[in-house]
Amino acid sequence: MTDNGYQPKIVGFLCNWCSYAGADMAGTSRMVYPSHIRIIRVPCSGRVDPLFMAKAFEQGADGVLMAGCHPGDCHYNEGNYYAQRRYALMRELLAFMGIEPERFRLDWVSASEGKKFSQVVTEFTQAVAKLGPRQGVRR
Amino acid sequence: MLNRFMSRPALQKWLQTLMADHQVVAPVRVEGLVLFRPVKGPEEVALDYRNTTMSPKEWFFPLSEAIFSYRREDNKVILEPKEAPQEVVLFGIRPCDARGLAVLDKPFLQAPADGLYAQRRERATLVGLACREAGPTCFCDSMGGGPGDASHVDVLLTEVKEGYIVKAVTTKGAKLLTSAQVQEGETEEPVLAGLRPVKSRGIVEAMRRQFDSDYWGKVADRCIHCNLCAFVCPTCYCFDIRDFPVGERIERVRSWDSCQSPAFTRIAGGYERRPSKGERMRQRFAHKLLYFPGQWEGVLHCVGCGRCVTACPVNIDIREVIEDVNALPERAATASAAEKGGDGRA
Amino acid sequence: MKDYAEKIQAHARELLAAGKVDCVIGYETGSDGVNARPAFVYRAEDVGRLTFDDTCTHDLVTYLRNRKGKATAVVVKPCDARAVNLLLLEHQLQREQVVVIGLVCPGIKERAWGQKGEALLGKCQVCAMHNPPIYDFLVGQPIAEEPSPDQRYAPVAALAEKSPEERLAFWQAQQERCIRCYACRQTCPGCYCTECFADRLDPQWLGIRVDAPANGMWHTIRAFHLAGRCIGCDECQRVCIMGIPLSLLNRKLEQKVDDAFKFRPGQDAQTPPPLATFNPGENLGVDGGHGC
Repeated sequence: MTDNGYQPKIVGFLCNWCSYAGADMAGTSRMVYPSHIRIIRVPCSGRVDPLFMAKAFEQGADGVLMAGCHPGDCHYNEGNYYAQRRYALMRELLAFMGIEPERFRLDWVSASEGKKFSQVVTEFTQAVAKLGPRQGVRR
Repeated sequence: MLNRFMSRPALQKWLQTLMADHQVVAPVRVEGLVLFRPVKGPEEVALDYRNTTMSPKEWFFPLSEAIFSYRREDNKVILEPKEAPQEVVLFGIRPCDARGLAVLDKPFLQAPADGLYAQRRERATLVGLACREAGPTCFCDSMGGGPGDASHVDVLLTEVKEGYIVKAVTTKGAKLLTSAQVQEGETEEPVLAGLRPVKSRGIVEAMRRQFDSDYWGKVADRCIHCNLCAFVCPTCYCFDIRDFPVGERIERVRSWDSCQSPAFTRIAGGYERRPSKGERMRQRFAHKLLYFPGQWEGVLHCVGCGRCVTACPVNIDIREVIEDVNALPERAATASAAEKGGDGRA
Repeated sequence: MKDYAEKIQAHARELLAAGKVDCVIGYETGSDGVNARPAFVYRAEDVGRLTFDDTCTHDLVTYLRNRKGKATAVVVKPCDARAVNLLLLEHQLQREQVVVIGLVCPGIKERAWGQKGEALLGKCQVCAMHNPPIYDFLVGQPIAEEPSPDQRYAPVAALAEKSPEERLAFWQAQQERCIRCYACRQTCPGCYCTECFADRLDPQWLGIRVDAPANGMWHTIRAFHLAGRCIGCDECQRVCIMGIPLSLLNRKLEQKVDDAFKFRPGQDAQTPPPLATFNPGENLGVDGGHGC
């Protein structure tokens, strides 16, 4: 990924109905994006307990991505709105505790947005790789 | 008074010498606290302290450690034991805490001994520091110890105007002192800490009598069931063990636990042996003042360091409990249900 | 504050004698002879133990979780009264089962063993709520409320101004000291889960391991679970013997919740909590936006 061979570990929590299908779309359309992301399929972005983010970081993740349906498109009508509020607070807290804000991201990716998915993952992976390995991780 | 003694500069020099071939662990000031930490230079050592926030037990029985790890290779399980501990000098340990280690020795060194604990004890030399001033909650002399008790250290230092009176208690201590500049000399007579006595006589019998007393529920009412009292205690030794994956290997981790924690006695299926606050509270004091002495020739499981008294967020004071239990009438009167208290699960 | 003890005792005596409550939770003088500790009084003839002065630090609302289904009276300072509102809002209390003896509070002092404290507690120095927002009996003359001084978030701002590396180093030093005794959790009136995520075995979110990364996770989630809920009693920080400034994290989230959602926890028992509601049109800076 970077000149010194650093391979960032990225965990992606993808909503089953939009973003996970968006990732599929990126795959079937043969779009290329960095393969550092480990995808975890969740029923809704609203299922992503901030605990998941904290656990990923505790286990040594370098970056955490959350992706769900666009506002108004949630399969469960409102899960992504709750997700947004939780994420906004969690982002503030983690940044305050010294985890660089570039290490986490929430984005909206629909099932048809394969291109957007590959873009988001590419941008995010590059941003995380630029920061290098996280400090204070158990090894 | 004629004593073997060490001047202040000689002590600094001795520390320097010790640091060259030992790991030295001594009281250090950290963010307003005093804690036993490894030191690199004599200037880091703070000997002007009453007692440390955490007891030195953490150097023999750490708060949390991987006791061994294992991994799988070619379909075989490879065990990776923990590295053997270094030789360590525990410098400036208080007599009560040294006594605390002697108490811990009983369960940990009884066969089959706890390997890691035994190794660490064997490779440690304790340089004690007698107490010239008592902390506000100290009561060591009521529990069988004393501010100048040399029974459980290898060397005992007592601060006087001229420096430190030095006493080599064991051969290990005498050996450690060979690198020190000790001289015979006139020193003042040291005045040791004066302590408020706690009426602890007969406590084991009283604990047995009051086992079913309502008293426990009443004390437990204000307990919030954190683990502080057990974690600051120099003699508490309960632990829990669990496996944690770290990369390709699995570490078996042992961490302190406490009988006050709500989940302490929870077993498979969710059954709880001690569901009420009062039963949990009684467990703490009964272990210290009834079960442990019953198992180990009357040795009380409390050394009177007073840490739990100051640390407790809600002022559960073991000195008060000892005196209350000793003063309770022979057969506690049956109280009404409302009066019992301690009825909540928490 | 001189006549508070007398008035608390009078209310307690009446409530117990009339059988309106089983128990009154208040304060009594502790074993050092100076500082107060929580007291549980079950009989009208025992109300003489109850006292109140500027050493009454504890948030007694935390004990109500042990008394579900039993009528209880509790002595509360204004910050503690906010915890009553929080628990009512979250359906953890039934209004008719709790009698709130609310105090007008001029502030509580720092405590030291056997000594009367001098300085006001940090939270009291920047307090903007001297009158309890909920009570059945009020003790004391209401004080005119002054807006919270700007210093409330000064310590948060001081740390937020530093670089991420400096902030990380600061918190890592705190996390290395933490002994995970869970006193912060146990004393918190808002931490009432039957089983804390930290104690869960399946899945084992956190487990028993104590080291800086695990402690960091504990501090993060403890604070997050109080986002929009922390009523600012600062008990978590007071009980911490390792001197970890836990309330900095709570304060940071409190500020953000107030800014973003105009919500202050515990002011009433009706306004929906910010993480249980949303505005369909809102954009909180998603799409790669960064905070702090």
